[in-house]
Parts: sequence; structure tokens; C-alpha cells
Amino acid sequence: MANIPVTNSVSEKRPHPKTRHVDIGRIVIYIILIIGGLISITPFLFSISVSLMNLTEATGRAILPASPQWGNYVEAWEEANFGLYFWNSIKIALISVTGQVIFCIGAAYAFARMQFPGKDFLFTLLLSTLILPEAVTWVPNFITIVWLDRITPLQWINNWPALTIPFMASAFSILLLRQFFQQIPGELWDSAQIDGAGHMRYLIQIVIPLSRAALVTVILFSFIGSWNSLAWPILVTQTPDWRPISYGLLTFLDEAGSLAHLRMAGAVITILPLIIVYFFTQKEFTEGIATSGLKG
Amino acid sequence: MATQTVTGQETAVTQRRISILSGKRGRNFREVVLAYLLLLPAFAIIFTFGIFPLAFSVYQSTLKGLNKIVGTYDGLGNYTKAIGNLAYVLGFWLAIIFLFLAVNAAIKGWRTVRKYGDKPWLLALPGFSIAASFGLLLRFIFLFLPEALGIGDKIRAATQGGAEETSAELFKQFLGEVWDIPLIQQAFWLTIGVLVIGLILTYVFSRNHDPRRGEYLSAFIQIGVYLLGGIFLSWYTLTQVQAAYAAAFEDGETLEIWAQVITISAGFVLLLFSWMIWRSASHQDSTKSTLLRLAAGSILIIGAWLLIGELPAAAADGDKDWYQGLLNTVYYSIGSIPFQFAISLMLATFLFQDIKGKGLFRVLFFLPYVTPAVGAAASFRILFSGRVDAPINRIITSLGFEPLGWLNESAGIFQLIAGESLKLPTWATGPSLSLVVVIIFGVWTFIGFNTVIFLAGLGAIPNELYEAASIDGGGRWAQFRHITLPLLSPTLYFLTLYAVIGTFKAFNHIYVLRTSAALGTTDTASLVIFDAMKRDTRYGYAAALAVLLLIIVMGLTVINNRVASKRVFYG
Repeated sequence: MANIPVTNSVSEKRPHPKTRHVDIGRIVIYIILIIGGLISITPFLFSISVSLMNLTEATGRAILPASPQWGNYVEAWEEANFGLYFWNSIKIALISVTGQVIFCIGAAYAFARMQFPGKDFLFTLLLSTLILPEAVTWVPNFITIVWLDRITPLQWINNWPALTIPFMASAFSILLLRQFFQQIPGELWDSAQIDGAGHMRYLIQIVIPLSRAALVTVILFSFIGSWNSLAWPILVTQTPDWRPISYGLLTFLDEAGSLAHLRMAGAVITILPLIIVYFFTQKEFTEGIATSGLKG
Repeated sequence: MATQTVTGQETAVTQRRISILSGKRGRNFREVVLAYLLLLPAFAIIFTFGIFPLAFSVYQSTLKGLNKIVGTYDGLGNYTKAIGNLAYVLGFWLAIIFLFLAVNAAIKGWRTVRKYGDKPWLLALPGFSIAASFGLLLRFIFLFLPEALGIGDKIRAATQGGAEETSAELFKQFLGEVWDIPLIQQAFWLTIGVLVIGLILTYVFSRNHDPRRGEYLSAFIQIGVYLLGGIFLSWYTLTQVQAAYAAAFEDGETLEIWAQVITISAGFVLLLFSWMIWRSASHQDSTKSTLLRLAAGSILIIGAWLLIGELPAAAADGDKDWYQGLLNTVYYSIGSIPFQFAISLMLATFLFQDIKGKGLFRVLFFLPYVTPAVGAAASFRILFSGRVDAPINRIITSLGFEPLGWLNESAGIFQLIAGESLKLPTWATGPSLSLVVVIIFGVWTFIGFNTVIFLAGLGAIPNELYEAASIDGGGRWAQFRHITLPLLSPTLYFLTLYAVIGTFKAFNHIYVLRTSAALGTTDTASLVIFDAMKRDTRYGYAAALAVLLLIIVMGLTVINNRVASKRVFYG
């Protein structure tokens, strides 16, 4: 696990012979880091700035708005039906994230702590789906969805099942959770068994509360995935009824044409929720990614 | 453990019945059941939408038609449309790879046999039967699939025609009709029969308690599956080539498929051969090794010459958009991955020092990764717009340069650098400027992600190594080169694989950043597939492209694993 405080003290313990000279080096390091940070956020600052301009400023390519036009957001929101798209995306994200958390926790626990025949085979199968580009599944999954739409009473196309059910389990989430579950000391399981707890109780009362960081990572990852999804919604929604926000923004970008300030207002509306969620969860999130990434 | 207890060596049936519910055995049995129950929902979804689609794509790729779910059968037609006669070469080579895998599995099994002096030959019977049942299962799926897919249309027609039954009843009825087709029933029972025979034989022949019987059984199954795959693929490609010749003969044309297949295969074999000689050369003494390397070099030249001479001709009939898409994908990965890694490794080593505001920097760097791609790409579209007064153009004009076309520029960057007076050949023009913007977006997005993972990797390196190195007088660079890099290699390996696959997955930002003025020079393979499917509604063709993409990704993964197993240092 990447534990930043530990590495802090560690690097302090390492005295460098040329401590005096490092000062210039440190300044250079800070400058590079600050430039990197600025580049990371420039597109956001730019979007926010343009989104608050009036039409002449936006087309005249001003750098900052003379007076912020908050009305742009209202205009973009109403004109592009963002209210609907926003609500759609939240519904889609909630359904698929809930499904994913429930299903993946179960599968991850089975791989981490249980013995059953065919475990290695199923695990290899799971790993192999990781390399699969999404493009490979578009045609068959679209056909499957159309077929399910016709044979079941449930409407799939243009509706939530097509947008959420295929994403209710992901190999990545299962692997990440399994990694975390395996790091929980075996003694806990032994003592839980002595207390008479079975697998399910151990999972719910001990493993899940201990895996907060991993769960936050999985939730945020699947939330980002669902908020970001574009290709699949384009394929399976023909009407705006269930169109998610990324697709909504894309259609709005074409409709708004040269109205840069409205386009940017739309972009900010799309971006902001994720940024807010990220700021609240960033500590667990980076920790979770670091743990999963280290061991592949 | 569970395997042994469930299929284990019970003595009496009554005893077993009790033991399933109580005691250690019972606990294990319940654990197995619970594990399967926990896995079931996730695997049902992953299987339906992640694994089954592979077989489905292969099936769909043999059909052609516009906006038709079950098109007309066209053999390898979609593949030859995509990559020309190279499709046949690919078919034969896949067959050879399958046969090679079979031989490989056989050799591995034979080594174990020799080592322990076992006699596992009777296990071949159940092994091959199970392998055959897999093949028969695929046959059944391919027979059943079109009929089953047709049910959807029938139900829709029936409900539109005013049928009174519910869709569930209709489904039952139409499924019954499909089931009544004798061929499908035969295929089904044949599959089940062979599988059952295989399982019974497994049970019969694994009663001698050879500890390695599972290993041998799986070896025989592997050999059987690979053999079957190899034989089927070579037979299928052969018939397809013959059909192509027959069609050409009727039209009074001549074909060169065989010549192309042979020359290209020979070229590849020579390349492989030269690589093997080159590798063996390093174990020899100096004169011998020089000679061997010279030989390897000349074989390499001959092989390359054969390939350069014949590959373009074989591929000539392919789809220009698809080739452009593949080339763009290559440009995209070569253009983005090294920069991503260099920058994020630098940022990570800086952040790893005793720096103030470490947390803030990490949050800032990571921000692009969590940003919705469509939103961020929307601002890139304005920043890098081709207009003279677009922000980036204003910056470069204020520095005294000419404004550039950026996202609207279809010319390659090397051509732009060389200027208009020097006309570069097409292959040397490099990625278009608009693709460069796409690459910049990719680098911008992934730097934070890579930095966080590099930071974790750096944190895992024990500090004593650095202490020892600085006592020995190793400078910062020496420490980085000889401690940090080798110990980071597992992280690097993971990130490389992730990044390469990521370039094949890239879609959203490219879809937003593409302009018609860029003339398709930003479209990577995924986008070409998407267009074939959504814009042209040629599902079969899109599926064929997807299968080709899958083959490429699988090949790259195998190569990556091979390289990693030699170079990655797991300290």
C-alpha cells in the first residue's frame, strides 16, 4: 500500500550529502510541479471563464469575462434539456453502480476467501476479459439487446436495462476488491469462525467495513464509467428519454454551433458533479488505485 | 481441497448423504455452493456481455447485409474486404498457431510423463471427448444462433399482426418451433452425448489415484481443443481459397492467393528463424557469434524483402479507412505512451521527495482522469480550434509563429515541419496535426493516473537500498538507473499493458475531437468499427473488424507477457 506519511519520514531519514545545493533543485522541482498542476487545470479554468462570458466576448476570444454571466448556465440548462440528461445519468449511474457493488463484492469474496472447483479457470477467464476492447462487444451486444428487447416484456432499447445491465459486473472491480479482501489478515477469519460466523456474516460484518477505500474506488470508477459512457448510449438510445449526459452534451455541442459560451456552460455542467464527488473521496480513491495498480 | 472432498473417495453412499450436511465435509460442500451462488450474478453478466460476444462476433463476421441482424452468409468475405488477401494468410497462420499450441501442450505433457514415469495414455479418451464436445458445442451455437435470433423478428411480427399471446408465450412457441428443426436437435444431443461420455470416461479412468491425473487430463483437453481449432481453421481457409479461385475462374480472372500465402509465410518464417539464430548467437564464443549474427542478418534481409515485396500486394484490396484507422492507432500509442510515462515518472519522483503541498499536487494531476471526456474535449475543441483567433493559435502567433490548423489539419506533422517545398512520400508524413491534438488530450488525461501508480511503486521500494547506494557513493542518477527503474519494472509492465490496451479502447475524446476537415486522420480502429456499425449499419463487417482488432490486441498481450517475463524484475 502506498502510505504517504511513511514515505515522508523515510525520505527525511535519508540525509543527502549535498543538502545545501538542493535548494535550487527544490525550486526547479516546485516550478515543474506547479506548471504541471496548471496544465492539468487550464482546460477547466478556460471552460469556466468562457462559460461566464457574453456572446461578443466568447466570439471575440476574450480571456476573462468583464462581468460573469451566470445566466448562461440557465440558458444552456433549459435549451439543451440538461435537466433530463442530468437526471437520466444519475439514475443510470445509481442502478449500475448499485448492481456492480453488490455483484462484484460477492464474486470478489468468493475468489479471495473460498475454495471451489474451477476457481483458477474462472479467474483466468475473468482476467482475459480485461484486455477486451469495448469495440469488440458492440455488435454482438447490440444484437443481444435488440433480441432481448423483442423476446422479453421488458423494454430494453431506449430504456434503462440496455444502459445499465451490461455494466452491472466488471472484471476490473472484481479484481480490485479481491486484491483488497486478500490483504485482510487471515486471523480475522479464524477468530470469526471460532465465534461461529459463516462466510456471509464475516463478509458483511468484517470484510466490507474494512474495505472502505476499495469500495469507494470501485464506486467512483463505475460512477465515472457510467457518467462518461458515450459509444454504447449512442448505439442503444434513439430518443432523449434515457439519454445520459455525455451524449446529451455531445448533441448540444453540435446544436449550439458557434455559441461557445453556451457550449462551455454545458461542459461545466457535465464536469462539475464528478469533480465534486472526486474531491470528497480523493483520499480513498487514490489509495485504492495505488493498491490495485501495484500488483496489476 | 474442496475438489477432493466432493468427488472424493467415499466408502458408503449412506455415509456420504449424512456427511454432505454436517461436519468438515459438509462445511466444504456448503462453501462450494455458496461460492457458486456468489459468483453467479457477476458471471452471468460478464459471460453474456463480455465472453459470449467473442463467439458471437466470429459468427456475425461471416454474414453480410445492410441493417440486417442475420445477414446472408458470406464466408471470409468481410475479412477480404477489410484486409484483402491477407485474410487468407491470417487464416492459415492462426491455424498454424493453434497446431503449434497443440504441439507445445503435448511436449509439456510428455516431459511430465518422462519425469515421473507415468502412464496416463488412457486419459486421452476422456480428454479428447471433452475437447470434441467443446467443438460440438460451438457447432451447436452456430446452428442455433441464427434461428434463435430470428425469434425476435417473429415475435415482433406476431405482436404487430395483433397476436393475443404475451411475449413470453410467443417466445415459448417459437422456441419450440426452432427446437423441432431436426439438425438443431441432433447437434444438441450429440454435444451432450459426447460430453457425458467424456465425463463418464474421466470418472472411470481417474480412479487410480495418480496425483497428476488432473494435469494430464487438462493437457489432453488442451491438445484436443487446439488440434480441432487448427484443423478446422486450415480446412475452412482452404475451402475459402478454393471458392475464391473458382469464382475468379468463372469471371475469367487470375488470382495469386497461393503465391501470396506462400511468399508471406516464408517471409515470416525467415524472420522468426533469424530471430532465433540471433538469440542463440549470444551463447557462443565471439567468432562463432559474429558469424551467426551475420547469417541472422542476411536471413532477416531476405525475409523482410519477401514481406515488403508481397505484403502490399496481398493487402491492396483492403479497406483504406481500416488501414488508416490501424495506422492512427499505432501513431496514437507511439505518440502518447512514451510521453505519458516520461512525464508522470518525473512528476512521481518529484512528488516522492519531501515536498510541501504533495496532496494538492496529486489531486490536481489526477483531475483530468476523472473529468468526463466529452466535457474536457469540448474545451479542447475550442482551445485547439483551427481558427486564427483560437487560444492556442493566439499563443503561437504572439510567439512569432504562423497559426496552425490544429484539429482541422489533415496533413502529417513531418510534412508540416518540412514545409510545402519538400513533398514527403505518404508513409513518411507522420500523424496528422489533428491526431497530435488527440494525443495531447490522451497524455493530459493519463498523466495523473500514471503518476499515482508510479508513486505507489516508488513507495514499495525499500529505503535501505538507497542508503546502501549512497554509502557506496552512487549519485542520484545512478540510484535512479540501478535501483528505482529495475524495482519499478512490475509497475511499468502493468502500466504499459494498461496503456496499450487503453489506446485500443480510446473512443470518447476522439469522437468529440474529430472534425470532417481532418479527413479521418484522427479515427483510430475503434472509431472505424463504430462508423461501420452505426453509420453504415454493416453489422457483419463491423464484427469482422472487431475480430481483427481482437486478434491484434491478443497478439500484443502475448508479446508483452513474453517481454515482461524476461525483463521484469520482481524483487
